[in-house]
Amino acid sequence: MFQATLGSQDVAQSAVNIPEIDWQAISPVVVVFVAACLSVLVEAFLPRERRWSVQVTLSLLTVVVAGLALGLYVNSDAVVGTGGITVAGQAVPLFSADYPALFLWGTLLALSFGALLLIADRSVDGGAFASPVPPAPGGDPVQYQAPGRQTEVFPLALFALGGMMVFLAANDLLTMFVALEVLSLPLYLMCGLARRRRLISQESAVKYFLLGAFSSAFFLYGLALLYGYAGSVRLVDIAAATAGTDRPETLLYAGFGLLVVGLLFKASIGPFHAWTPDVYQGAPTPVTAFMAACTKVAAFGAILRVLTLAFEASSWEWRGVLWAVAIVSMLIGAVLGLTQTDMKRMIAYSSIAHAGFLLVGAIAMTEDGLSGTMFYLLAYGFTTLAAFGIITLVRDGNGEATHLSQWAGLAKRSPLVAVTFAFLLLALAGIPMTSGFMGKLAVFSAAIADGMAPLVVVALLASAIAAFFYLRVIVLMYFSEPAQDGPTVSVPGAFTTAAITLGVVVTLLLGVLPAFALDWASVGGFVS
Amino acid sequence: MLLLVTAHLVLAALLPTVSRWLGRWAFAVGAILPAVSLGWALTSLTEVLAGGTVDESVAWAPVLGLTFTLRLDILSLLMIFLVSGVGVLILCYCVYYFKPDAQSNSRTSALLVAFAGAMLGLVLADDLFTLYIFWELTTVCSFLLVGQDGNTKQQRRSSIQALLVTVLGGLSMLLGFVLLGEQAGTYRISEIVASPPAAGALTSTALVLILLGAFTKSAQVPFHTWLPGAMVAPTPVSAYLHAASMVKAGVYLVARLSPAFSDHTPWWPLIATLGIWTMLIGGYRALFERDLKTLLAYGTVSQLGFLMVLMGAGSHTVAMAGATMLIAHGLFKSTLFLVVGIIDHQAGTRNIDELSGIRRRFPVLTVIGAIGALSMAGIPPLFGFLGKEAAFEGFLESGTTGDLVVLVGLVLGSALTAAYSFRFLWGAFGTKPGVEDSSAPKPSLGLMVPAAVPAALTLLLGVVASLFNALATTYAEPYPAGDHPYYLALWHGFSLPLLLSAVVVASGVGLHLARDRVVRLGGWLPDFLQAQPGYERTVAGLDTVSYAVTGRFQAGSLPTYLAIILLTFVLVPGSAVLTGGSMPEELRLWDSAVQVPVAILVLTAAIAVTMAKRRMTAVILTGVVGYGIGAFFVLDGGPDLALAQFLVETLTLVAFVFVLRRLPSRFTQVESTRSPRWPKVAVSVAAGALVAVSALVFSGARQAPPEASEGFVEAAPEGAHANNVVNAILVDFRAFDTVGEISVLAVAATGVASLILATRRARRPSAAEETEGPRKSREVRK
Repeated sequence: MFQATLGSQDVAQSAVNIPEIDWQAISPVVVVFVAACLSVLVEAFLPRERRWSVQVTLSLLTVVVAGLALGLYVNSDAVVGTGGITVAGQAVPLFSADYPALFLWGTLLALSFGALLLIADRSVDGGAFASPVPPAPGGDPVQYQAPGRQTEVFPLALFALGGMMVFLAANDLLTMFVALEVLSLPLYLMCGLARRRRLISQESAVKYFLLGAFSSAFFLYGLALLYGYAGSVRLVDIAAATAGTDRPETLLYAGFGLLVVGLLFKASIGPFHAWTPDVYQGAPTPVTAFMAACTKVAAFGAILRVLTLAFEASSWEWRGVLWAVAIVSMLIGAVLGLTQTDMKRMIAYSSIAHAGFLLVGAIAMTEDGLSGTMFYLLAYGFTTLAAFGIITLVRDGNGEATHLSQWAGLAKRSPLVAVTFAFLLLALAGIPMTSGFMGKLAVFSAAIADGMAPLVVVALLASAIAAFFYLRVIVLMYFSEPAQDGPTVSVPGAFTTAAITLGVVVTLLLGVLPAFALDWASVGGFVS
Repeated sequence: MLLLVTAHLVLAALLPTVSRWLGRWAFAVGAILPAVSLGWALTSLTEVLAGGTVDESVAWAPVLGLTFTLRLDILSLLMIFLVSGVGVLILCYCVYYFKPDAQSNSRTSALLVAFAGAMLGLVLADDLFTLYIFWELTTVCSFLLVGQDGNTKQQRRSSIQALLVTVLGGLSMLLGFVLLGEQAGTYRISEIVASPPAAGALTSTALVLILLGAFTKSAQVPFHTWLPGAMVAPTPVSAYLHAASMVKAGVYLVARLSPAFSDHTPWWPLIATLGIWTMLIGGYRALFERDLKTLLAYGTVSQLGFLMVLMGAGSHTVAMAGATMLIAHGLFKSTLFLVVGIIDHQAGTRNIDELSGIRRRFPVLTVIGAIGALSMAGIPPLFGFLGKEAAFEGFLESGTTGDLVVLVGLVLGSALTAAYSFRFLWGAFGTKPGVEDSSAPKPSLGLMVPAAVPAALTLLLGVVASLFNALATTYAEPYPAGDHPYYLALWHGFSLPLLLSAVVVASGVGLHLARDRVVRLGGWLPDFLQAQPGYERTVAGLDTVSYAVTGRFQAGSLPTYLAIILLTFVLVPGSAVLTGGSMPEELRLWDSAVQVPVAILVLTAAIAVTMAKRRMTAVILTGVVGYGIGAFFVLDGGPDLALAQFLVETLTLVAFVFVLRRLPSRFTQVESTRSPRWPKVAVSVAAGALVAVSALVFSGARQAPPEASEGFVEAAPEGAHANNVVNAILVDFRAFDTVGEISVLAVAATGVASLILATRRARRPSAAEETEGPRKSREVRK
């Protein structure tokens, strides 16, 4: 099938077209991929005891360098916002570094910097990742102290990051699909790497993989149908095809539906959310943080791009469906979150609800909707990153103490951790002076301006229900007597401290001074 | 103005450090800023009374249309008297109230100052969003202040209820603000009030939503239950937040918007109904409370209902009454709370049944408390009396039926108020037979002065009634005054309001004297009038739904998850296919007869897989399906594709075999019952059928010519000198793809080889590799 779909343009022009590559524009992506390959080599050739320090340095450096490259490009004299990889004769790049992509790249790099810090921290209990060495015969396979440290997670994370960056910048569905796989496969593996509670970790990896494979198949099927409809996999061509032709609409709708299933799955939007709680709970917490923050950015970047570039003209037909999806997602996240007793599962449901809020902005299809959604992604990413960072700190003898009852009275034992976590929960609930409020305000006002008031009513209702379970945690931390043999709060290592501080500072900053980020988010739209 | 608000927040951030040196004197440091605010408000008094305003505006996030806009007018000024004036008193009181070495001092002082700042911002805000932001900040501060040491389940529940109810109200208010702002085309409150949007469904919805916010914040029925619950907070905090300032925010909002909306349909009827209901229920419940503080809390609920009615009515005299009552309530309620705080502090209890003989021990305190309570009861010559008189007069003026009904409600409510005021006096200071006199040390001057100041003001403003007249008149200016504008005075001659006041006081005394009989009622209320069960049922209902849904759909079962995705697939794109698609006109059953047995083979194998009990059988049957597909390729003239398919199938099979050697030979899942499988069968059959149907529909729906294949066929002879187009594609046109595929195969083969090696190395099953095995084979298949 691939051979057939890719072929049309270059054969028709019967000459080899070398795509025009604006190296500076795509330099951040290049840096990440090159570093990912280097990281694999390090894994293969460096002696085991030196790998950890080299991998940490390499991956953190990569993100910094990629960020610098991005900054240089944005501030350079070049015409920013039109670069990428362009096939000659095409107006729109195949892979576009337009303004939304640049903004989200920046977001992704900043978030993954934080996530990598969490991944790299091994001051608490030796880190979260298992060594690949199997347990000794007769040992307990469920939990064991492995010698050595897992460093495979670094190249995996870098590949996933690269995949995400391509995913949200791809202007044709095939590139998007390849990127989807590049970002997904490492994530599946990373979920199974937990050092403690290995069975649940591996179960989560298998579930994520199986369901993910299904959703990828849906994406691919939808892609094929859209190709059948439009005769091209390029988003702009699909848009052109949808604008007033007598083509059979069946292919369009069915293709759109299947494609969107794949995208919604990655963004963990209900009713395609089922994997989220299990995977968030099972995966090592730093990986969960990485997934929760970065995957969401990538998936919504792609959703925004696909909806805006390819399906804007047909928006009246599909809007109803996505309304329903957004409502389902918000309600599922908010209502099911109420009864969760596990901290990580609770935040997973919260992420489902947030995905619903984000979708409200994404289907607004206006400039405000675009910038609001991107701002929301930035805000949510940092808040959730810091929240997971804090979860890694509260531990008992069996590793992280994620059961809610274990957090009772935390404020008495560790006021600083409690106050930080309370602040983050308030941000997730969307209380003013936090980034969560600004994000919701941006998204909801865009939605109202686009005539989606009923949806916003549901969104506010869901926010209120969701606020209940965030606040319940705060009450639990502040009002309860600490349990007798409750968990201890570990002194965070420098890396975790840095990651949490980063998250908290950004959450506060975006809540108090949102203007600079909002301005940047609304510089320009997709190039089409 | 913004500077003042910011200074509060900055000081709040610094106070924890300050309190490390100064201990509880940090409260006194904190009192400086409210004092400055109060002074600033007093200096602006003349300008504001002349009808002027002070405006200030700072752009915050222009992209979102967020601007901090502050504006000082008469209403803000009145509120600042409460917020900053009472704030100074409370903070000074705190210095002597809290233990010197209490750990919570730094936190409490910081939060109180932050709250004072937020409240100042709230009453000054001239922008709906600015108002909302400060509104929620006060909620959060209140929550944290209430949460001092709630160790019992009851306390936890009440504090979360307080937060939940007010946050819910706040969110609905935000929605109302957005709707109102969109209707009016501006978010400036002063502009909206100056030219309100036309009446209509949207405006009405917005108003109801805003009122919901106001009602929850100001503890109106049916949301009032959070306020008595919040009395777990230390007394100074309760006095400040839950009597004088924060709970007035809802009343303030109503007062702010009433000039524009008092004649809109839902506004006044809603306020009047709920306000009077609140006034009655709060007063009724206060008659039975044994805890002095909770008694005052129900009293506050009742008075807030009263204030709601006064602020929402929209007539000149009633508005004057509203302004008067607003300040009067702030004064007498803070007096009473501080007095209760002193009693609690000195005697160690605030239970009516345990206190006795306080009057003899603390005569000065008794006088202070009596002034407060009598002002609450509406006894002349105290300030509370002025407000109540004006209210009665205001509702008598028009003489319409509606106003008279309201008046009856207010008189009844006032009677209850008088009754519980007397009950308070008796309970706090009285000597009860059979109860030992409470032994209590003398309170320090630092505790007495903050309580005495508002009591003195209550007396002063009552006796010299004209002092407040200008303020009340200026506040009521937006409403048209009659020919003889009302003025505040102790003596208006023998008039109907005076008579009503006498009735109120008399029935209050009567109710109090009959307290033994009243108490026997035990605060009984018919079920449908109780708000608490409603709240509890809502929360429990949400929990039940959540448990049910989680149990059914989120049990960690992969088949369930898959079923959800498949069902969505069947329903959404499936319905599009079935409704919009059309079958191709010409359908052949088969192209060649050989296809039939192959198809039967594939189908049988596919069905058999689902029934297989041994892993190996299942794998082999899956292989049969794959080989069958390969056979179709051969039959349709694609030998190269078939070859690839056979290769992949074989490789997969080999990989599977090596993995399966380490697994039990049978599937471990026990099939205890047959019935639960049917839903799964139904879902998978539906999904499969849909895929089959869509394949048919899509093949018929395609219109564009197959450009790619035609292009390849055209280009093959010249471009690649090839007669076989498949060959040309594989080695020429898409050579890189071929290389890629070969490398994938190579990688997969390496994986298989490593599996073989791994089997030699270890006999024990390793969890890690079990999951990796199938994954590799999956990748190959893609």
